[in-house]
Amino acid sequence: MRAAALLLAVLAWPVQAAWVWSEPLVVNSVQGTAIFPHLESANRQGVAVSGDTVGVVWEDNRDGSPQCYLAIKPAVAVAFGPEMRLSQSDCYEPVVLALGQGRFVAAWEEAGKVRAQVLPGGVAIRLTEAESAQVTLAIRGDTLFAAWAGQAGQFRHIVVARLAMTGDTLSVKLAQPVERQPPTDEQGWPALAVADDGSVTVAWEDRRHKHTVPMVSHSRDGQTFTAPVRLTDHMSGSVDGLGAGTGAMRPTLAAWGDNGIVSVWLDKRDFLAGYDVYAAFDSGTRRFGGNVRVQDSFGDNMAQWHAQIVGNAQGRLVALWDDARDGTPDVWLADWNGEAFGDNVAVPAASGPGAQSDPVATLDATGLLHVVWLERDEQAGTRIRYARGERK
Amino acid sequence: MRLVKSVLAASCLWVTAVLADPPPGYPFVGFDAGLKTARADGKPIFLYFGRYGCAWCDHTNKQTFSDAKLKKLYSDNYVLVYVDAESGRRLTLPSGERITEAELGVRLQAFATPLFVYLTPQGDTIMQIPGFKTVQDFRDYDRYVRGGIYKQKTLLEFLGGKS
Repeated sequence: MRAAALLLAVLAWPVQAAWVWSEPLVVNSVQGTAIFPHLESANRQGVAVSGDTVGVVWEDNRDGSPQCYLAIKPAVAVAFGPEMRLSQSDCYEPVVLALGQGRFVAAWEEAGKVRAQVLPGGVAIRLTEAESAQVTLAIRGDTLFAAWAGQAGQFRHIVVARLAMTGDTLSVKLAQPVERQPPTDEQGWPALAVADDGSVTVAWEDRRHKHTVPMVSHSRDGQTFTAPVRLTDHMSGSVDGLGAGTGAMRPTLAAWGDNGIVSVWLDKRDFLAGYDVYAAFDSGTRRFGGNVRVQDSFGDNMAQWHAQIVGNAQGRLVALWDDARDGTPDVWLADWNGEAFGDNVAVPAASGPGAQSDPVATLDATGLLHVVWLERDEQAGTRIRYARGERK
Repeated sequence: MRLVKSVLAASCLWVTAVLADPPPGYPFVGFDAGLKTARADGKPIFLYFGRYGCAWCDHTNKQTFSDAKLKKLYSDNYVLVYVDAESGRRLTLPSGERITEAELGVRLQAFATPLFVYLTPQGDTIMQIPGFKTVQDFRDYDRYVRGGIYKQKTLLEFLGGKS
């Protein structure tokens, strides 16, 4: 009898397990029909949880030019505090990373160069004197890394830097391109992840094959990088002498489980149905395996956008994106069940009438999922919204 | 005059270096420059939303945009704008919003390239045409747009009734 009850409980588990969400909050205190907030960034690092404090970064034009902002919410607070402006000149694509105990490091592009700052309290520094953009961050223990797309002659290439932090002061310890030779075509949108063993993985968009292909490289010591290889196992090329291949873009990375790394990106291998979300796993060998389609069959004939993967050391792994399968853009997620991504689930507060899109997310140390997205309203202006999900 | 020629030559080099796959020989420019020119000149915009390495874009360039008369028709009467579906290059929408070229694909709900968008000189969308099209197709679209027929008829109604 007990065995039968246990069997029933096991069979019912997938039905019972569900995300339970907090009441959604508004993050940005200033909205308007001519104010346009954006959550776009390399590796989609728009939200971080430091201790029990949530930090959200974005760019908007409320001051007449694009500027970057940070808003934080301690766990005990019922709302986000007033945002803090991070930049003085035109600012784009900010990212934020948790340092612990309520401290963060943010990075962004300002006046054509990437910068970083410890918050609260630090001073912004330029990470490079070269023209640069699309900065992203990663940390393991006390070791902080940044990557960006830096101008190298006619094209941009990917640079990875190790940052030093003394108190609230940042400095660049070592910055070097992933490849020594000059780029032969454009590179951009890097994503970084540091595995349990301290090895650094960097993925980016790359056009050396005359179409956009996510490439990946890793470094055991954070200094010497392996020759880049494709993340995609779909080896497209020209068709009857036409074109160069299908496109795949905006790779994101997350450290996950026991020494693993996972990547998710937008992929147009099915070129008639817009971009799909694809994933690849590195179990610790520092090689990515075959590609896995993330969205379920209900989203198959629909273009997916703004994909991201988040994971934690306990093995939880969640992919997020937006698509309009129900008529208007909604934020969707899929959990990894160990063998495949599960049925797609809409984030309740980020779905339904109207447009909800551009998700950024992070998993905290306790496994809670923190999601931030844009809710577009042409009459009232765009709101940045936040909700926390718990898997029960 | 020499200065103007130098600027034009530099612009052509820039277009070659930065833009991905527009048809050769056409005076395509970036989104912001095109919108500014269209407003100043009162010309409609022909926006080519392409993708770097896109086979159907290449096919359209070779089969259709290689036609000299079509090239003259579109070069003379439209402001030609090329947008790269996967580019992080920035542009400013008529609303004042700054987005990337890739993000424009989200706003256009683009599911395939090439995608051709006809816009008024103020940047309002007249129609979107996805996929490979022939020289005759583009001649029909030109009559529909520049003839102002789009104000009275849908494209299907126009194409169904054209002589």
